[in-house]
This record gives sequence, structure tokens and C-alpha cells, in this order.
Amino acid sequence: MVWDELDRRVKEKQQVLSICGNSFKTVGKAFQNMISRILHGGDFLNLGTNLMLCFLCAMTSGDPTTGSAFGLMTKYPLIDGHNDLALMLRILHDNRLSQVDLHNISKVATDINRLTTGHVGGQVFAAYVLCGAQAKDAVRLTLEQIDVINRMCTENPELELVTSAEELNDTKRIACLISIEGGHSIDSSLPTLRMFYQLGVRSMALTHTCNTPWAESSSTIYDVYQRENDSLTDFGKDVVKEMNRLGMIVDLSHSSWATARAVLQISKAPVIFSHSSAHAICNHSRNVPDDLLRELKENGGLIMVNLHSGFVACHGQANISIVADHFTHIRKVVGSESIGIGGDFDGASKFPLGLEDVSKYPALIQELMKRHWTENELSGVLRHNFLRMFKEVEKERDRQKAKGTLPSEAQIDLTRVQNPCRLVLRRPDHQTTKMEQMYSKGHSELVVSRSLVWTMVILISCLCVLMDH
Amino acid sequence: MLSGSSVWGTLLILSCALKLSLTQDEHMNNALRLMSETPLIDGHNDLPWQLRMKFNNQLNKVDLYTLNNTHTNIPKIREGRLAAQFWAAYVPCDTQYKDAARQTLEQIDVIHRMCMKYPEAFMFATSSKDIVDAFSQNRTASLIGVEGGHSLDSSLGTLRTMYHLGVRYLTLTHSCNTPWADNWLVDSGAEPSQHNGLSEFGKQLIFEMNRIGMLIDLAHVSENVMNQVLDLSKAPVIFSHSSAYAVCPHKRNVPDDVLRKVQNKKGIVMVNFYNDYVTCSNTANLSQVADHFDHIKNVAGHSIIGFGGDYDGVGRVPGGLEDVSKYPALVAELLRRGWTDAEVKAALGDNLLRVFREVERLSTTHNTTASTN
Repeated sequence: MVWDELDRRVKEKQQVLSICGNSFKTVGKAFQNMISRILHGGDFLNLGTNLMLCFLCAMTSGDPTTGSAFGLMTKYPLIDGHNDLALMLRILHDNRLSQVDLHNISKVATDINRLTTGHVGGQVFAAYVLCGAQAKDAVRLTLEQIDVINRMCTENPELELVTSAEELNDTKRIACLISIEGGHSIDSSLPTLRMFYQLGVRSMALTHTCNTPWAESSSTIYDVYQRENDSLTDFGKDVVKEMNRLGMIVDLSHSSWATARAVLQISKAPVIFSHSSAHAICNHSRNVPDDLLRELKENGGLIMVNLHSGFVACHGQANISIVADHFTHIRKVVGSESIGIGGDFDGASKFPLGLEDVSKYPALIQELMKRHWTENELSGVLRHNFLRMFKEVEKERDRQKAKGTLPSEAQIDLTRVQNPCRLVLRRPDHQTTKMEQMYSKGHSELVVSRSLVWTMVILISCLCVLMDH
Repeated sequence: MLSGSSVWGTLLILSCALKLSLTQDEHMNNALRLMSETPLIDGHNDLPWQLRMKFNNQLNKVDLYTLNNTHTNIPKIREGRLAAQFWAAYVPCDTQYKDAARQTLEQIDVIHRMCMKYPEAFMFATSSKDIVDAFSQNRTASLIGVEGGHSLDSSLGTLRTMYHLGVRYLTLTHSCNTPWADNWLVDSGAEPSQHNGLSEFGKQLIFEMNRIGMLIDLAHVSENVMNQVLDLSKAPVIFSHSSAYAVCPHKRNVPDDVLRKVQNKKGIVMVNFYNDYVTCSNTANLSQVADHFDHIKNVAGHSIIGFGGDYDGVGRVPGGLEDVSKYPALVAELLRRGWTDAEVKAALGDNLLRVFREVERLSTTHNTTASTN
């Protein structure tokens, strides 16, 4: 059903699609598995499971611990590090917000009502585009995702688009922040990075599931830009430095561990893993090993635990308890000050029982409270750690501004990025002149003919005069 | 020994010449006076493109005070009394269906950085109020126009984000058709028409531009597009750098019937100085540029005229208007031709400010009008 709609839209766009715009068509099928899983495999859509959840809610509603989780989260509304609602708006509604009631959206895990129930005070929304768009129309697609988040957050009174730690802290509404998920969105262009920042983007994951020409992904799904021992190239370092200068948070989720280590060596500001969990609990390449956690702590950064079943429980059924194990482990290795939550709702297919959508965060907090996490620790996990990190990122920006650090003019070596969709520019006046010559060919020929005639007349006259003499 | 008549003749000639030069000085003084009272707002300058071509946008390799192989630098801007400039964020038509969006962002970025690097000379501006504020601070208001719909990659989301980056006009086409609008080459016969003007999507784009307050620029478009947009747009429209077709019948210029439509819609035609559009030949002079101003005034009134020099975007500019320092000479010529102070001020900046204010007034982005896809 969703795919018929996608196919129809692709056909409508055929006039504008070329080989460089085929990302929408050629990678459309890549979504099929994900959407099928979401539509048909996700527990949260199953009526029986919903009824069971209602029963559980009813059973626990009298539990004082649940009550205090809600109370705690009323005092410290959650700032969540990663949500893919914008992607679902594209897939299901082609970004047509006029067709959607953002309070109550079907077939997704996120909407305003459930964010409110879940006591979410701030959400980082990912302006994500497929890796298939790399070296094609990733930039334009990213602009469209930024635009849909912007519209979503400025056209609904319950939401507020924020771009600073202060705004995030002070708002009484649900704060929206914009992140980019994958350096392929900037097409190896620092000016593009700067323009995204100006559009409100405050965080960028250096890669998604594909390498960029300058950073390495943890995934090998896409066989592109493979390098040996060069996980973060010189240009990649320029990207990180420019992000520090701008005050854009560097996000290492999806990067390879080698890239993450290289970034942690050079970043002058704290960095984050916006939606990654503990490798020691579930040894998935998307998760963070203990040694990297320690480097992150030294950096002052944050790991925001991903709730997706596949990253939480490598074996067996994912549930709230196993999710809480990740928190426990990370606290043991580096302390609670380095922890946050990055649910990854609407960006992944399966979520643990009891954590099916954004309304369920209190159940996770309840579990942590049962495990004797203190109010101080939980307020950190919920929001203060993120705010502290964000402020530090802004402080580094301010330090560099005071020093007079100029916008970087670093450019990537063109040999690393040559592809049919990347134009090497020629001087425009050659083009214009060529075109105008085509247009004015008749006119200029006429001008030449007239002057030739007069020249001939004068010459002949002179000859006649000379002959007379 | 000199005869009496030759002495009297010489004296007569000398006094005429003196009177003429005094009058010229008087016109120039008046021009400078008027330009100190009303900002000169030019509709189109391609310095950003020169920065790309010559320096790969590496501003640290350029000094805009001493740059001497362009029409535009800071001393010339000051001498020319250029109070506000729409800088073109242009990328060639070859980038269409390729990396036009990214390259356009890079041009927008270089304009921002130019303003940051020379804050004493430039004030980045996005509104009619900004232009007036910059003028009061003796800094050149710097606005951005994107030159060519191909930069949008047929995406309203891209249009809106570029607006958020400060872009305040979009030239609907450069010299190539987009998937939704025909360009001027269609009228020349050099290219086939694809849409007989605007497609349905093109019309949606016009509505969205009205809604967000983006000026619609009809330089470079086909005549069908000119007419359709003038009928469709609720807000007045501009020609950022086009001249009068009746004076020079080049398809980049504006025919008289369209000039009258612009007058009805209270828009503006900002005269281009490129020789080929001024005289339809390789050479031109200042007086011939003034002929375009006179013609437009005669056909459609002084309220629709402006300056759109196209400096640094063209190779051939008129004698007397060699670079951006020469605007006062053109203003003096208009005064010499009997233009009143009010008419000159209208052309300098009052007309553009009127258009801009009306576009701002009609924009509904601050209301709850929902955006369109």
C-alpha cells in the first residue's frame, strides 16, 4: 500500500528525475523491508499487544514508583537525542504536513500527544536522507527534511524550534532541535555545512550507514569510499574543526570506532553518540565499546542510549530490564554524567516490550528508579547532561569567535569526489557568449555585411579617384 | 595679428564650454546630493561569481579594497554611492540536474562571508527596513538574489530554506528552461518551449513566493512567463537586470506591453548596462543607457524604473559606465535630460523600496497560512 503510493509519486516526478535524481526511485525498494517490518512486524500496531499494554498500565497506575517517575519527569522533562519522525513524514506523506494531524499520527511511534504523555521536553529530530542519495541529490533532499522539521515545529503551538541551550532549557513547549544524520548530506562542502547551521541544524552525525569521502561508517552495507587506515581524512578533520567553530555538535553514532577515536583526538568540544548503546551488553557494531566510552568521558561527551531492540538485546527478547542494563553498565564504566537517551523512534523497526513509542519513556525511568538511581543521576540522564554538553559546545564556539577564527575555506581534494553529478564549473561568460553568438548570429552577420559593403565602396571610390589622376 | 572676429569667436566658444562644464558640474553635484538623500539600490551584481571563478571563493586570498580586475571593489562602491546591492548567487545552467543546490549554497555562503569580512563596508540585509538602516549607517546593504530556478532543483522546500538563508529574490530562469518555466532563449528560437510559459508547478511556485515574501524576478524568462507571472502574482514583481526592448530588440529586454503591465502591477524594471542589451551591438555609451531610462519613463512612467547594472556578470559595459564608481554620471545625465529630483529618487531607490515593502506586506508567513508542498 505504501509502495503503490511511493511508485505513483516517483512516476509524477519522472520529468525532473535524472540519473542524479534517481535516489528516490532506485533506493525506494530499500525502504520496503523497513516499512514492512514497521507496518506488519511492529508489536505496537498489534491490537492484542495494545490491549495487553493497557492492562499493564492499569495495573501499574496505582504503583507509587510509576507515579514518581511521572513526577520526576514533570520536573525534568526528557531531552531525547534522536528521532526519525521527519523520515516517516516523507515516506508516508511526502512531507505534506497539510495532510497530517501532528497530534495524532497513525503508523508512527511519535506524535505530539505521545510526546506529551512521554514527558518529552525536547526532541532532536533527524533531517535524514538515504545513503543512496550520496553524490546525487542528497543536499536538496536534506534541505527538504530541514524544511519539514522547521514547518512542523513552527506551525504547531505545542512545539518550538530552538537553536541554543538557553532556548532549550527555557521553553515551556516541546523543544525541537534539528540534526543531520550523515555527512553525505553536506556533499563534502564546508559552505553547505555552514548553511545548514544557519538553518538551525545543531548536530551532525559524520556518517550514516555509508562512508563519506572523508569519514568511515560502522556499516559496510554500501561499498563506497573504502580507504585503508584513513577513517577520518584531512578534510574530515576540517569538517570537525569547522563544526567546533560553528558550535555544531559532532555526533559519532553510525561512525566506525576508528573514526570516533580520530574525532575524539581532535575535537575541542564535547561530542555525542546521539543514539548508540553499550557494546559490552550487546556486541553490535553500532554500539560503543568500553574503551571508547572512557575516551568519551575524558572529552566531556555524552552517550545517548538507543532503545531499538536490535542494539539493546543481541540475543533474545528485548525488554525494559535489558535496556536498563545498558544504563547500569555505562554508569559503572564512566558514570551517569555521560549518559542520555536517544530513543531512535521511527528510525528503527523493533522496540522492546514496554517501550514501543515515545509515550513510554516513564516506564524506563521507573525501572531505573527501582534500581536506585538517584534524582540527581536521573535528572542528568533526562536533560542536564545534554544541556551541559550543549553549553560546552557553545562555549567553544564563543572562544573561537573571540579569537577571531575565520570560517574555514578548506576544500576536499577533487580526486576524492569525482562523480557524474558533480560539475566542474566553467566561466559563465564563455557560456553566455556562446549562447548569445547562437542567438545573435544573424544580427552580427548583417552588421559585418554592411561594414564590408561600405569598405568596398570607399576602396572602389579611392581607386576610381586614383585612376582619374 | 588675430582679427577681432576670431577673438570674439574664441571667447564665445570658451564661454560656452565653461558654461557647459559648469552645468555638468551642477548636474553632478545635484546627482551626488540626491544620492546622499535616497539610497541607490542596484538589482544585480555578479561579484560573487567573480570570487568563485577567480579565487574559488577563498576570500582570504582577496582584498576587496585593492581588487583591480573586476567592475566592483569597495573604493569603487563608495565612489559610486552604491547604497544597496542585490548580489547574485548564480550557478551555471550546466549544474541543473546535478549539483546546482549545493553550488548555490556555496554562493550564498560566500556572500555572507564577504559581509562578515568587511562589516564596515557591507551590512547583510533581508528587508526594506535593513536597506534604510544600512543607508543611515553609510554601509552598503547587501542582499541576495538567486539567479536561476535551476538552483531550486524543483523543490519548494529548497525555496523556503533559501529564503531562511536570506535570499530575497529568485530569477525564475537563467538561460535555460527549468522543468517548470521557459527562458528567453525560447523567444529567440534557439530553444524549444517546454511549457508555453509556466507549468502547473511553476504557478504553485509563484504562489509560494508570494506567501513567503520572496521577490519574483523576471529577468531571463520568456515573454510568456513574463505575462503569466504578471497576471498571476498577487505581489508586484521585478526585472532585476533587463532593459527596454523597443530601444534594443534583444529578447532579454522588456517589450512595451509588458512595461505597461509592470506599471499596472506597480513593479520595477531595473535597467541592465550590458552593451548588447543597450544597443544590440558590442559598443554602447552612457547616453544610450539613459535612452532606456527615458523610454521606460515615457511608456510606463518613472515609478517602474530602477538600476540593474549587471556589473561583473558581463564582459562589455558602456563608455562612461566602466565600473560601479560611475553611477553618479548616469544620474547626472538623467538630470541633464530634465528628470526631476523626485523622478531620479524614484529610480535610485524609492521604486524598489515600494515594491519590496508591498511584497513584505503581502507575505503571510507570519500568519498561520500553511506552507504548500
